[in-house]
Amino acid sequence: MSQLHAEVGIAQLSKDGEELCGDKVVLTQTPKGNIIVLSDGLGSGVKANILATLTTKIASSMLQRGIPLVDVVSTIADTLPVCQQRKIAYSTLHIIKISPAGLATIVEFDCPNSFLIRDGKVIPFPVEKKNISGKIVGVGVRQLRENDIVVAVSDGVIHAGVGGLLKLGWGWKGIAGQLRQICAQESSASYISEQIINCCQGYYLGLPGDDSTVVTVKLRKARRLTLLTGPPVNPADDREVVKRFMRKSGKKIVSGGTTANIVSRELGKSLLVDLSCYNEKIPPIAHVKGIDLVTEGILTLNAVLERINDSELVYVDKQFDGATLLTRMLLEADYIEIFAGKAVNPAHQNPNFPFEINIKSQVLSKLQAELQAKGKHVNIEWF
Amino acid sequence: MTMLKIEVCVGSACYLLGSQDLIEMIEGLPEDVKANIDLRGSSCLKACGKGPNVKINGELISGVTPDKLMEIIKYNIQRK
Repeated sequence: MSQLHAEVGIAQLSKDGEELCGDKVVLTQTPKGNIIVLSDGLGSGVKANILATLTTKIASSMLQRGIPLVDVVSTIADTLPVCQQRKIAYSTLHIIKISPAGLATIVEFDCPNSFLIRDGKVIPFPVEKKNISGKIVGVGVRQLRENDIVVAVSDGVIHAGVGGLLKLGWGWKGIAGQLRQICAQESSASYISEQIINCCQGYYLGLPGDDSTVVTVKLRKARRLTLLTGPPVNPADDREVVKRFMRKSGKKIVSGGTTANIVSRELGKSLLVDLSCYNEKIPPIAHVKGIDLVTEGILTLNAVLERINDSELVYVDKQFDGATLLTRMLLEADYIEIFAGKAVNPAHQNPNFPFEINIKSQVLSKLQAELQAKGKHVNIEWF
Repeated sequence: MTMLKIEVCVGSACYLLGSQDLIEMIEGLPEDVKANIDLRGSSCLKACGKGPNVKINGELISGVTPDKLMEIIKYNIQRK
C-alpha cells in the first residue's frame, strides 16, 4: 500500500473575554505515524488552558514512547490537579493516531464523537465503549483510505448558538450537515477547520460562549520533494549525486548556480535563466527540463526563511520571485529530502558580503526546524 | 544584422556585487537599442571572485559596472 499522509488543520476560538483558549491541541510525529491529542480543560481561561495543556502533553509524550492506552488514561486521571470549586480534576481527552498505512485509532473520553467523512457521507467514527481504570472511554480502530477525513471538535462547537440563535445549539448533526457541504468540494484540512469555526463564530453571534476547537485530519497521498543545493565536495561525486536526485519521486528543486550548471551538464539539458522573475534581493530563477524549479542558492534560501512563516507574503501578494516559489513548494510538500553539497565557493568569503552567505549549514538547519514545526518530515544529507 | 549577445551572471556573488543593476540598465534602454541586444542570464560564469561578470559575444568581462556596460554597448552598436 502506498504511504498516506495525514494532513492536519486546526482552528480555534477562545471564549468571549478570554485571551487564552482552554482547549489545547498537540500534534506529534513519530516513525509509526501522527498522534493528535485534543483536550478541553474545565472552565475557561488560564485554568482551563493549564489543565488542557497538562493533559495533551502527558498523553502525547506517553503515546510517543509507545506506552499502552490504559496507562495513558489512568495516568491522566491520577495526575490532574483538582478544581477547588468543583472538587474534580477534569479535562476531556481526544486522541487520533494515524499510522503511515492509514490505520486510524481514535480514543474519546468525555468529548463529542468524531466525524468520519467518506465518499461524501458523514458518520460518527465507530467506537466501542471500554472501561479503562474506572473511566468509560470510547476506542475505535479503522483502516482509512485516501481522501477520508476525520474531524474532532470540542463541545464548544457542538453547543454553538445554544440559548441564543439556536435553542439547543448547533449539535452534532448540524455540524455533520455543514461538513457534508464543505467536503463536497476538494478542500484542505485547514480550510475545513476554518469553515466550521467560522460557522461556530456566527452561531455565537461573534461572542463565543465556550472555547471551541476543530481538528481536521485528511488522508491523502504523501507529497514528496527533493531539494539539491550546493555542489558535492568531491567533483567526482557529481554524476552519482545527480543520478540519485533524478531517481527521487515527487517534485525536484535545484538551488544554486553552480549546482544548476552541474545538473544541466549531467542531464545534457540546457539551462535557461528567466530574467522575468527576480527582484533586488533575490536573483532570477532558471529552467532545466525535468526540474520543477531552479533558483540561486544562498540568497534565495535565506529569503525562504524570512517567508516561511509569512503566509500573507507567500500566498496573498502576487510575488513570483525564486524564494516565494520555493517557499510555496516546500509548504505544499509532506516529505522533504535535502541533498546538500559541502563544496565552498571561495568567492563567497568576501568580507563585504552579508554574514549569512558563508553559513549554508545553519540556514539549512533553521529551514529544517521551521518545516518540522509545520509537521513535515525533513531529512538533510550532506555529501 | 547580428545581435549583440550579452550574458549577465546572476549567481550569488555577482548578484551581491550588483549584476541586477546591469540587467535593469539594459532593460531601461530605448527600444531601438534593445532591439539589437540579445540579453540572457547565466547562473555562473565561473569567475565569482571578480564579479559582476558579463559575457559579450562570448568574451568574459569582469568587474562590470552599468557605465562600463553602457560604453561597451555603445561601442558595439555604433560599430555595426
